[in-house]
Amino acid sequence: MKRVTGMSLVVFALLAVVAGGPEPALAQEEYPPANESVADSLETGMSAMDQARIIADQYAQDPQVEVTSEPFIQGLSNEPKAGALANVRQFTYYGDLITTLKFQNNSTFRNTFKFSWEEYRKQDKTVQKKDDNFTYGLGSNLPFVFTMNGAWNWSEDRTTNTAGFANLSKRDQKRAGLNAMKSNFKTGFLNNTAKISARIMDQESVNQNQRNDFNEGAIDGGFQSDMRIAEGARIAGRLYGMTLEGDRALGNSTESSSANGDTVGFGVYYKRTIANGRVAVTRSNFQKKYLDFKRNTNGLIDTVGVDEDKKVVDELETNDAISYELENNFRFGRIGVGTRLTRLTSDLDYAQSGVGLRQKEQDVMDLSLTYAVGPDSFAVSYDYLWRWDDQRYKNATENRGKQYNKARDYEFRYFRDLFRHTKLNLRYHEGLSQDIAEENAQGHRPNENDLDRHQADISARLERNWIGKFRATMVFTYQQVQDLNIRESRSSNNNVKDSYELSPGYAWTISPLISLDQSYRVYIQYTDFLYSNLETVNRSDDYSKRGNLATKVIIDPSNRLKITLRHDYNKRFSATKTGVDASGNAFYHRDLNQTINKIELAFRFVVTQGVTLEASTYRTRDDRENFGTRDTTTRTYSGEMWVGTQVRRRWFQKNPLELSVMVRKYNAFGPSVTETSSDYWEADIWLKWEF
Amino acid sequence: MRQGLAIWLVCSTVLLSGCLFSPREPEPPGTGVEIDYLPRSSPANVWSNLEKSLFATHAPGWEDNISLIEFRYIPDDEARDQFPPNTFVDWDRAREVTFINNFYNSNVTNIAKMSEDGYVFPPAAGNEMTVEDIIYDLKVINNVDGSEVRYRGKCDVIFRLEGNFWYIYEWRDLQGESDPDSGTLLNTMGVLRGTFGSQ
Repeated sequence: MKRVTGMSLVVFALLAVVAGGPEPALAQEEYPPANESVADSLETGMSAMDQARIIADQYAQDPQVEVTSEPFIQGLSNEPKAGALANVRQFTYYGDLITTLKFQNNSTFRNTFKFSWEEYRKQDKTVQKKDDNFTYGLGSNLPFVFTMNGAWNWSEDRTTNTAGFANLSKRDQKRAGLNAMKSNFKTGFLNNTAKISARIMDQESVNQNQRNDFNEGAIDGGFQSDMRIAEGARIAGRLYGMTLEGDRALGNSTESSSANGDTVGFGVYYKRTIANGRVAVTRSNFQKKYLDFKRNTNGLIDTVGVDEDKKVVDELETNDAISYELENNFRFGRIGVGTRLTRLTSDLDYAQSGVGLRQKEQDVMDLSLTYAVGPDSFAVSYDYLWRWDDQRYKNATENRGKQYNKARDYEFRYFRDLFRHTKLNLRYHEGLSQDIAEENAQGHRPNENDLDRHQADISARLERNWIGKFRATMVFTYQQVQDLNIRESRSSNNNVKDSYELSPGYAWTISPLISLDQSYRVYIQYTDFLYSNLETVNRSDDYSKRGNLATKVIIDPSNRLKITLRHDYNKRFSATKTGVDASGNAFYHRDLNQTINKIELAFRFVVTQGVTLEASTYRTRDDRENFGTRDTTTRTYSGEMWVGTQVRRRWFQKNPLELSVMVRKYNAFGPSVTETSSDYWEADIWLKWEF
Repeated sequence: MRQGLAIWLVCSTVLLSGCLFSPREPEPPGTGVEIDYLPRSSPANVWSNLEKSLFATHAPGWEDNISLIEFRYIPDDEARDQFPPNTFVDWDRAREVTFINNFYNSNVTNIAKMSEDGYVFPPAAGNEMTVEDIIYDLKVINNVDGSEVRYRGKCDVIFRLEGNFWYIYEWRDLQGESDPDSGTLLNTMGVLRGTFGSQ
């Protein structure tokens, strides 16, 4: 494979700003942190808007370097750590070494080396990993922030599946980069931030005997400028560009690869006494050329029956995305009003993949109103989502037809202190989401899955709290869910589910030594199939009821010992509707009676400072009676017990040595317990030294 | 002022309910297939319902069997490595619902077998059950270009009794399995999730 031969340069130009720029702190609040390079982020399969945002957000980031204002420190520290983990699935042995070198003026070099070996208990699988990462920051030695970083990630995964097929998945990846950033420097009335970075990446990997190698270099940079236009208001513009070049090898093919992209953003940010918010527009474009496996119209790799030399294609992916965002939070006295409107559009186009051109648009509106005063408070919110996507398959002459998704939600919350220590909390929610497949120009719909889901629920919670002694709650919830398939080919399954839940409970601190917690719950759900009355539809309405009594006692006889007892009692019935008489009374046939009893006991004993003994056990009895063409009665038992210890010790003030041990031995039984889960250890043991 | 606001809110709620939240009128059942979902009274029935949902490309049938309270999907290493690093992080019910709707809306026909012949589901017991080493097999036929992609994987699934019914609480794909016909190694449904979950 040939090495990187050259790289394009990115030219930056400051976006013309008519007036003002965002207050830096204000603007930067809006940007999420980024930990990865742009090149790393630009992965196949990522949406155009996501890629655009990643590119755009690179600018508003703080650099990945620790710059402290602490006094001058100089030194070398090493933190070796070794440990072992065990659980029902795997054993892991690992070792870490963190080396930190601190120089003058906050200049720091930090290297982290990690090694791990994983052995799976249930699978024929081992994974070995070695990773080394370093960062070197020049601190305040330069008038701008400058960092270097590098990484080496090596892994080898050997898995043999149930049929005896052994696969080796191996990867050896190296990366190195330079980053420079100058923030908050003034040019006239403008406040500016500039950033530039360069990196190289090299990977050799193999999986299922297919190699996937690349050797690429990338450079990217950006500029942001802002200015104050009024008290508490700023305006900002930003520009970003990146380019990448290199070579890739996939399967038996080798080809050059490249990517380049740019992002332009503009926004007004304000933060005044009664309102804050922003208006922002971001436009992003990029294209990426790489080797990829042949994919079908859904983007799934499809190489079955394809000639070996046609399995890999030279793909060209282009993205064009734009986002608009308006956010305003207004507070006037006790009234708060929040508004957020966004629109995202993107066109994602593949030259080779069967996916072809995929277009998307998404509009979101979130409105909220809050009112808080004295014993009464309420909050109202209304959210609206409207989005569609369309696709023109590769080589198709027309689009497939838009697939819409519309959703709206309304929520009302009300809080009131009824009496002293007594609170009432009411909630009402209603939501509707719709999937709509639009006919294309030739009258074809992409699918028959048009669906409306309507949900309405109301809940009331009453709580009385005698502080420190007794707390009682009562919760009532009603929910109705309608699943409505619109097309006649699916509508026989349409149904409405009505659910009720009533759950009183209390928690009583009887004395400092004993507390009691008890709750009772009743759940009832009725399912009504909307077309069950038709002879052609063989669906029957039904109901299901369940009662649950949970009791928990906690005993604290001393500072060292804590004992917990818990009992759960469940009673469940379900029945199917068999008919309705002339006066409208419904008749049901009982299908199932079930009773579940579960008892748990747990204790924790502090032997001495840093050393704790623990144990827990439960046992469940499940009685089921099924009534059908043949009645059956079954009783099953299941249970588990574990005993263990925790040790946490630290020695020496200078060059401390730290030991942490958590070991538990599990034994379990029951109908679903397999050989590997019936007897195993769970452990987390490590030893760390700092010098 | 508070009373006025409360009255205004109640009235607006009623109005909103009547106008904005009215579902469309469905077409009466015609030529379609009736899906005989099983009562979710056991993990075996819940798992079987997924197969029925796949055959019918009926998203509510999938969603009804996924925990309403907490759900997580954990991909096998092979599937995870085929997608950008954070694709499967915090894969919850909302992401699962997005995946299944995008998948079913992509004009596909599925031939699914969610467990191998002879695999016996343990009887339902208690409030939570882990069912191990389930091998599922799914052939996805693309109705647009006629291509067929097969997925076959081994997974561990944790079921929980929530309210009145059993639901899938955790789906952990362990590894891809071989095509019984050709012997080639196949991907798990993690690849399907990665592809359709992020569209």
